[in-house]
Amino acid sequence: MTFSVRRRTLPYLFVLPAVLLFAAFKLYPIVASFRLSLYHQAGGVEEFAGIDNYTRLLDDSLFWTALGNSATILAVQVPVMLALATGLAVAFNSTLLKARPLFRLGFFLPMVTGLVAYGIVFSVLLNQQYGLVNWLLGADLPWLTDPLLAKASLGLALTWHYTGYNAVILLARLQTIPTELYDAAAVDGAGAWGRFRHVTLPGLRPALLLTTVLSTIGTLQLFDEPYVLTGGGPDNATLTIGMYLYQNAFKYFDFGYASAIAYALALLIGLLGLLQFKVLGGKS
Amino acid sequence: MTSLDRRGLLRLGGALTVGAGLAACSGTGTGSGADSGGAGDPRKGEITVWSWQGPAAQLKALLPEFNKAYPDIKVTVQDIGNPAIWDKITTGLAAGGSGLADVLHIGVDYLPGYVEKFPTGLADLGPLGATKHKDAFAQGLWQTVAPKGRVNALPWEANSGGFYYRADLFEKAGVDVESLATWDEVIEAGKKLKAATGVHLLGIDKPASQPDAANFFQLLLQLQGKFYFDLDGAITLDSPEAVTALTLIKKMNDAGLVSDLAGGWSALENSIKEGTAAVLPWPTWFGGIIEGLVPQEAGKWKVRLPPAVRRGGATAATVNSTHLAVAGSSKQQAAAWSFIEFMLTRPASQVAIYRGKGIAPALMAAYEDSLFHEPSAFFSGQKKGEIFLQALKSPTPATNYSADYARALKVVTDAQTKVLLKGADPAEVLKQAADQLAQQTGRKVVR
Repeated sequence: MTFSVRRRTLPYLFVLPAVLLFAAFKLYPIVASFRLSLYHQAGGVEEFAGIDNYTRLLDDSLFWTALGNSATILAVQVPVMLALATGLAVAFNSTLLKARPLFRLGFFLPMVTGLVAYGIVFSVLLNQQYGLVNWLLGADLPWLTDPLLAKASLGLALTWHYTGYNAVILLARLQTIPTELYDAAAVDGAGAWGRFRHVTLPGLRPALLLTTVLSTIGTLQLFDEPYVLTGGGPDNATLTIGMYLYQNAFKYFDFGYASAIAYALALLIGLLGLLQFKVLGGKS
Repeated sequence: MTSLDRRGLLRLGGALTVGAGLAACSGTGTGSGADSGGAGDPRKGEITVWSWQGPAAQLKALLPEFNKAYPDIKVTVQDIGNPAIWDKITTGLAAGGSGLADVLHIGVDYLPGYVEKFPTGLADLGPLGATKHKDAFAQGLWQTVAPKGRVNALPWEANSGGFYYRADLFEKAGVDVESLATWDEVIEAGKKLKAATGVHLLGIDKPASQPDAANFFQLLLQLQGKFYFDLDGAITLDSPEAVTALTLIKKMNDAGLVSDLAGGWSALENSIKEGTAAVLPWPTWFGGIIEGLVPQEAGKWKVRLPPAVRRGGATAATVNSTHLAVAGSSKQQAAAWSFIEFMLTRPASQVAIYRGKGIAPALMAAYEDSLFHEPSAFFSGQKKGEIFLQALKSPTPATNYSADYARALKVVTDAQTKVLLKGADPAEVLKQAADQLAQQTGRKVVR
């Protein structure tokens, strides 16, 4: 029990609680669900199935529908949201804007709202017969029950919830861009757009990468919003992989297959993340 | 003072990890350890019961009487809510029974799935004394609760398909509803009704925001003695009878007779309050709901059994039932059984429950009570109890819900949505649905 031994063990002691919690609540489920994904359950008995659950995925039209839906959201909603967030961040940073903290808070607040709570609020707002949105528009639009409009409604809800959050991340980065760069650009004759294009955007790059990756993960794992708003319908128009996974596990008791979906999803997120790092990351 | 050296630390960490691993393992195996419970004392103990809304309230109301007979059994009835109860039971069974109540209220749509996926998750009620009540229940129900001899649950409610209608509206349109013999005639009557009153014939949750959007389709199928699966478990989803059923729905929809109940239960309630549809093709238990929603419309409503699909066909179908089961993990199985026996096999209990919430008993002896033979003021003086009793006594073929009912329901509601919202061809979407179900479940399609 010399001083040096104690000094060497001390760091391990400090990380031990975190490691144990990680092992029990993350590592164990990760390993166990992988094992589960290699098994079938027939009559309550587990049978080794090899990669059967994974090959079944390839032939499952609903899985591909869910993947297609996620891809649509990824291709349409995420860019729109990030563009809005960038605009907001620039506005939040502008000295022309009075009461900036108030605006920042206002746009960030949706993020604090519980997912289910805001889902329910949106489903009430978008109700075809009694919803505020149709009342304001003087229309009778089936927001949640038409396949295309349901997708749009989902995108609307997501944008409302996450834009402010992304704007705050971008704002943090924006504040680290030295004002000298703007001054230099102005001296070189760059207008407002030129300064945004050549100073702001390159400066934001790491933060844009971060928000893109986070949004991609969030979109692929999307569950609460479609669960509350549309239940995945109509006719699977808003079925996401997260929802399909949930249905398989907790509605159809097919835990093996649900685990296979989870692993396919994790793989997909990993690949997309890697791709985004390659494209947006550049040199750090 | 000694401090931990590194080896000691590793040992401690190892022990903790193994401990955590073991603790986690004990909760994983779907079949393992669920039957860890015991019988206990049939007259003594503390048990918990899971049910939902109305039924839970009725069980609570009967507790004082139960405790007169069993003073040493302390019962807690919990209203878990429906559909929340299904997820809660699923997770409990998947966790080897930990956290489950002793007595579980389970619908026919979930019972076969639980039994197949968790074979020991529910206790066998046979050894506890259930078998002697074998012939006490409505036809076909013993087959539902004990398909292979093992008694998984005891029947509580038995609901027959019904046809509740606004007699005043049909009268205005000059239609004699009692004389309608087939659903084709109903469609013609619906056109007259719409022209005369502007009211829709009936409502369907067209985008299928809730799984029960297929209730009406299922009724039309069961009236023809068919279901999504045959008794051997093969898929019969695109049978000619199923195509007939969905085609009837399409005809109604194309004629503008179907209002949209998108949003599920609240939409249905609103539609009844606003009177947007004249017919509610819902089962026995629904009469009490209508009466509770629009008490001021007493005397305007009537009820009959649904018309046949083909002339001369059946008008009776047991469309669903619910049951009480004992968790395999319960340490108080005998006391739990005492509770179930008291509630479900004693006519006085079932009569009290029917009086309270209109929940129709599966227990045939209960129907001898005069309560079932009294005229109902709300339903224009009709003897509602007798109408449904007649259905319950008619021969109805057994229905195999199978362990894949939830999946079947999903592909069926999707198919119906395609027909109702996009005008798809019934035969085509049902064929797709059957193929998809076969791909997902590995079951054969019988064509």
